[in-house]
Amino acid sequence: MATEALKLDNVKKNFAGTEIIRGLNLSVTKNERHAVIGPNGAGKSTAYNLITGRYQVSSGRVFLNGEDITNLEPYEVKRKGLSRSFQITNIFPKMSVFENVRCSLLWAMGYKYSFWKMVGNQTALNEDAEKIIEELNLKDRRNTLAGVLSYAEQRALEIGITIAGGSEVILLDEPTAGMSVSETEYIVGLIRKVTEGKTLLVVEHDMGVVFDLADRISVLVYGEIIATGTPTEVKENQAVQEAYLGAAMEEH
Amino acid sequence: MQKSVFSSALPWIFAAAILIVLPFIFTGGGSITIMNQIGITIVLAMSYNMLLGQGGMLSFGHAVYMGIGGFVAVHVMNIVENEYLWLPLPFLPLVGGLVGLGFATIVGSFSTRKAGTVFAMISLGIGELIAACCIIITVFFGGEEGISGDRTMAPSTFGIEFISQKEVYFLIAFWVLLSIFVMYLFTQTPVGKMANAVRDNPERAEFVGYSQRWVRYVSFCGAGFFAGVAGALFAINYEILTEQNLNTVMSFQVLLATYIGGVGFFLGPVFGAVLFTILQTVIGLQTDLWALYTGIVFVLMVMFLPTGLTGLFAMHLIPLQLGRLGMLIKPYAKIFVPGLAFVVGSIALIELINHVRHHGEEQFMTLFWIEFDTTSFLPWALFLIMLGVGFYVSRVFAKEVAEAWGEATFVEGERR
Repeated sequence: MATEALKLDNVKKNFAGTEIIRGLNLSVTKNERHAVIGPNGAGKSTAYNLITGRYQVSSGRVFLNGEDITNLEPYEVKRKGLSRSFQITNIFPKMSVFENVRCSLLWAMGYKYSFWKMVGNQTALNEDAEKIIEELNLKDRRNTLAGVLSYAEQRALEIGITIAGGSEVILLDEPTAGMSVSETEYIVGLIRKVTEGKTLLVVEHDMGVVFDLADRISVLVYGEIIATGTPTEVKENQAVQEAYLGAAMEEH
Repeated sequence: MQKSVFSSALPWIFAAAILIVLPFIFTGGGSITIMNQIGITIVLAMSYNMLLGQGGMLSFGHAVYMGIGGFVAVHVMNIVENEYLWLPLPFLPLVGGLVGLGFATIVGSFSTRKAGTVFAMISLGIGELIAACCIIITVFFGGEEGISGDRTMAPSTFGIEFISQKEVYFLIAFWVLLSIFVMYLFTQTPVGKMANAVRDNPERAEFVGYSQRWVRYVSFCGAGFFAGVAGALFAINYEILTEQNLNTVMSFQVLLATYIGGVGFFLGPVFGAVLFTILQTVIGLQTDLWALYTGIVFVLMVMFLPTGLTGLFAMHLIPLQLGRLGMLIKPYAKIFVPGLAFVVGSIALIELINHVRHHGEEQFMTLFWIEFDTTSFLPWALFLIMLGVGFYVSRVFAKEVAEAWGEATFVEGERR
């Protein structure tokens, strides 16, 4: 139990009577890199939204490090140490790269709703923000408004916002979607670097990235996990071949 | 990284110096009255921008917090006059602020749950509600005549009794500077930074650990406080408050002033408050159509200059940094004459029509210091030609301005 960073226990979700997630069981071991794959519309993003409190689950439980986090508000989930990125870039467009990162650090560093401390004077906060920007390779874009960054840079910032504050469990939603080969390499390298020693759950369509990055893979089809295992096991699984992987692998 | 204390204090010292010198430059009683009005509007517009510009909350009822703060301030003034309470006048804005804060604490507890339409509608509803209460609850609001007091009856502050407008000016100036300073500090706090984040992307703000509702609530209460300060300053300056100080018309005026100045910049509302008050008072003395002109300025701003006056200044920083501001002088100079002809022609025509419609019995009217006969054909034709030709030539030259602008701001390989 203790080694399970994230556990979904028979989670279900109905939208207007239609069952989108039909009993999801998933367990992510501490410090592993776990990928979720599956065809479009399988419910991968919905599963993320259920875990992080963006949607309310219809039934079932979600556990973070053994603690029940079912139906908590997104900010409560984040405070418990789970952080996520989004499939569609979700940053603070009218703020500089630096401010984006610094804001993402505030709660984790204990500032809460303080209106009596000046952020400019908080040495540790500012140093941490600079460090993350350096890790993201965005140093020369430090003062640029996030909204005018290139797509790949925005995706990098998206990951930066997600990992800032040192959450133990990181959920990434299609981090390399829409990227060129070299951009994908940059992002995968970045993910590897910043999730060192953390638990990573990643939804990804690029099978090259998935098999390269993941320790274990779960296959989600029509709201259910049909298989979980190491990349080799999943590749050889007959059900997976039929449902998804055959078609997906041919593309590559 | 850290700037020295002196260099960060410099702009504030400079601002204080300007505020001290101003009444010795504009010495007329009229100009001091206008400056007092500007000061009050600055505090109100700056507090409004804590909501709109920094927090992304569009309020249609911000005057309520100013009004309630002001009404209580007048009541307190009367209590002080009757010697039930000892309170020197310079501290009265603090009372107004606390009242504004208190009322915002109540309203904000349910109105800040969502931004956008829900927040805007609640603010409008509260605004209408309080304006209606104003007429009904006469004990507190005094009905249509409002409530009046006498500021000079407060205990004197170092021998100052605040009898003259100039003395009041310094009281207002002090509070303007203090309010702007504190509001600036607020933008530099964790919750002030998160207000921007929630404005930009409330959902993402939740995923970095902040409740969007609480972040809005804190800004909302702060805005309520400074609106209350503005209300008390109003009470001190005019010694009377009526329903007009907190109704929807007033709320829209705050919105106008703030928007004209530029919501995206911290000091934007200051410029907006100055321009708006001058439109209201100086132009208001010249023509009864001032509200029309303000409306036209507002519409043009929203359409062509959504970043406001401050945005217009800020735009020119790019060519300035590139050392290409000179490239713009010639096209600007070229468009100035036809542009001016168009503006003057339009205003003259509007005024002429207004004069004939409402003062038709007077044959002569004075416009731009020139008296002429409204029944003759000449002024009509002249103004029409100015308007038409001015418009046409401006449009032609506008293309040159646009081209010059593109050239002056073009940087190889960089997107703006």
